[in-house]
Amino acid sequence: MPAHDHRNEMEAPGVFVLALIFLAVFVVIWFAHLKWLMDVWGVQ
Amino acid sequence: MANFQFRTDPLSGLKIEKSSENLIKWNVIAALATLAVGGLMALLVALTRWPSVHLLGATNYYRFLTLHGIDALLAWIIFFEVALVHFTSTVLLGTRSYVPWLGWLAFALMLIGGGVINVIVLLGGADVMFTSYVPLKADPIYYLGVILFAVGALLGFIIFFINVTLSKRDGGYKRSLPLGSFGMAAGSIIAVLTLAHGAAIFIPTLLWALNIIGYVDPAAYRLVFWGLGHPSQQINVSAMVAVWYMTAAFVVGSKPVNEKLSRTAFVLYILFINVASEHHLLVDPVLSTWHKIVNTSYMMHLAVLASMIHAFAIPASIEVALRRQGFTRGLFEWLKKAPWGNPAFSGIAISILLFGFLGGITGVIFGTEQFNIIRHNTWAITGHFHGTVVAGTTIAFMGFTYLLIPYIFKREIIWKGFATIQPYLYGVGVATLSIGMMSAGQFGVPRRHYDITFSGAPFSFTFDPAIDMFMSMMGVGGVLAAIGGVLYILISFGSIIFGKKIGD
Repeated sequence: MPAHDHRNEMEAPGVFVLALIFLAVFVVIWFAHLKWLMDVWGVQ
Repeated sequence: MANFQFRTDPLSGLKIEKSSENLIKWNVIAALATLAVGGLMALLVALTRWPSVHLLGATNYYRFLTLHGIDALLAWIIFFEVALVHFTSTVLLGTRSYVPWLGWLAFALMLIGGGVINVIVLLGGADVMFTSYVPLKADPIYYLGVILFAVGALLGFIIFFINVTLSKRDGGYKRSLPLGSFGMAAGSIIAVLTLAHGAAIFIPTLLWALNIIGYVDPAAYRLVFWGLGHPSQQINVSAMVAVWYMTAAFVVGSKPVNEKLSRTAFVLYILFINVASEHHLLVDPVLSTWHKIVNTSYMMHLAVLASMIHAFAIPASIEVALRRQGFTRGLFEWLKKAPWGNPAFSGIAISILLFGFLGGITGVIFGTEQFNIIRHNTWAITGHFHGTVVAGTTIAFMGFTYLLIPYIFKREIIWKGFATIQPYLYGVGVATLSIGMMSAGQFGVPRRHYDITFSGAPFSFTFDPAIDMFMSMMGVGGVLAAIGGVLYILISFGSIIFGKKIGD
């Protein structure tokens, strides 16, 4: 039976998923922050 | 080699030579002492800017703010970096210090320069704050102190190149430098450039303070000063990232996922990070708009790319290492089982997280020309650099101290329970402080200012009442960080003096 080929497996899948979670959280915080700043600075 | 005393550290397996060990020890001790003074000043300054406390009078506030900048931003970090220079150019390569006399000369100059600055500031001879912008004039001894410290630091970084060159000749390493040393090589290259700017501006300013030359142009001063002031923070970034790689390797045995990529990222720092300095000059009329936009809206992102590479490469290398140790269940078993109780590990984890989310993101936003104009000289900027230099560099260095004490000082860490919580406490404190500063800054609260009620001013101005909450948040964060800082100093000095000896 041929050995399992590991070459195409992701070495650090956890960090990949963490990066996606952080990206999503960042986008939410960024837009919430932007809205808050527009209120603070009185942008119409 | 026979004449040099080497020992093999039983915990790390590192081959450590005596003179190199002593240089690391004394630079770390000086770093701890300066952080103690700089941290005390930080607490007093924070308690003054906390509106409901407003502790100090105006004179002492500006005096202690000056000293806080010098001791916490300059002395603590550069003493620790020179210790890292010795560590990465000798211990990590398994070779000796080739020029210990130069190491001691550098140390003496930094110690004398730092001491002179502390004394003259406390005597009231230099209430000019960290930037000492002309035409604010300090006592000439202050500028002399800065020059002595900078020359000492320059020699300290030059030692890196001497050690690695001669180590290569003697077969200390075969191909390229290990990644920790490579990171410090990047830091040392930036340091030489940076400290040359320091000499270029502080020598004429000293002559001006002595009335030998009549005038230093304020615009020229700001331009050249920020060739020192901001790139010196890029030495800190390179050193901090080198510490991230080394700590991950020592604590969990991680190896870089892609070493070439990590090395390329360090080269990006050397090439592009210094142009970030230009954001200090965005409201100066000297440079053209074209120049400002090219540097701060385009070039800066190539340096940011480097930080992004490191910020994902290091956690990935930790995950790979922990998966090899058998933590393979699901996506996050490795994360759950990571050594969170080890303050060296938690130190770099907190440092990576806070540096990226607080310091890095805000740096990119505030450093861009179009955004900078709104935040320039507000407290938001102070919040940003407490996210980089304190939440990033200082916490990483604190974590690495918990490795240097057993490896280099041959002592066990005392108060292990307190040591475990120290990085968390300090991290939460600094994050709260930084977010408080940034939020108040968004409402236009100025940085540095002693009295934002502007009492006695010809014009009245009131801020949005929300700033009280954010300024109090800064105060609470400052007190938490101070408790974390005191714990770090006590544990470090306590371990060095009273820690149980570790046998050779």
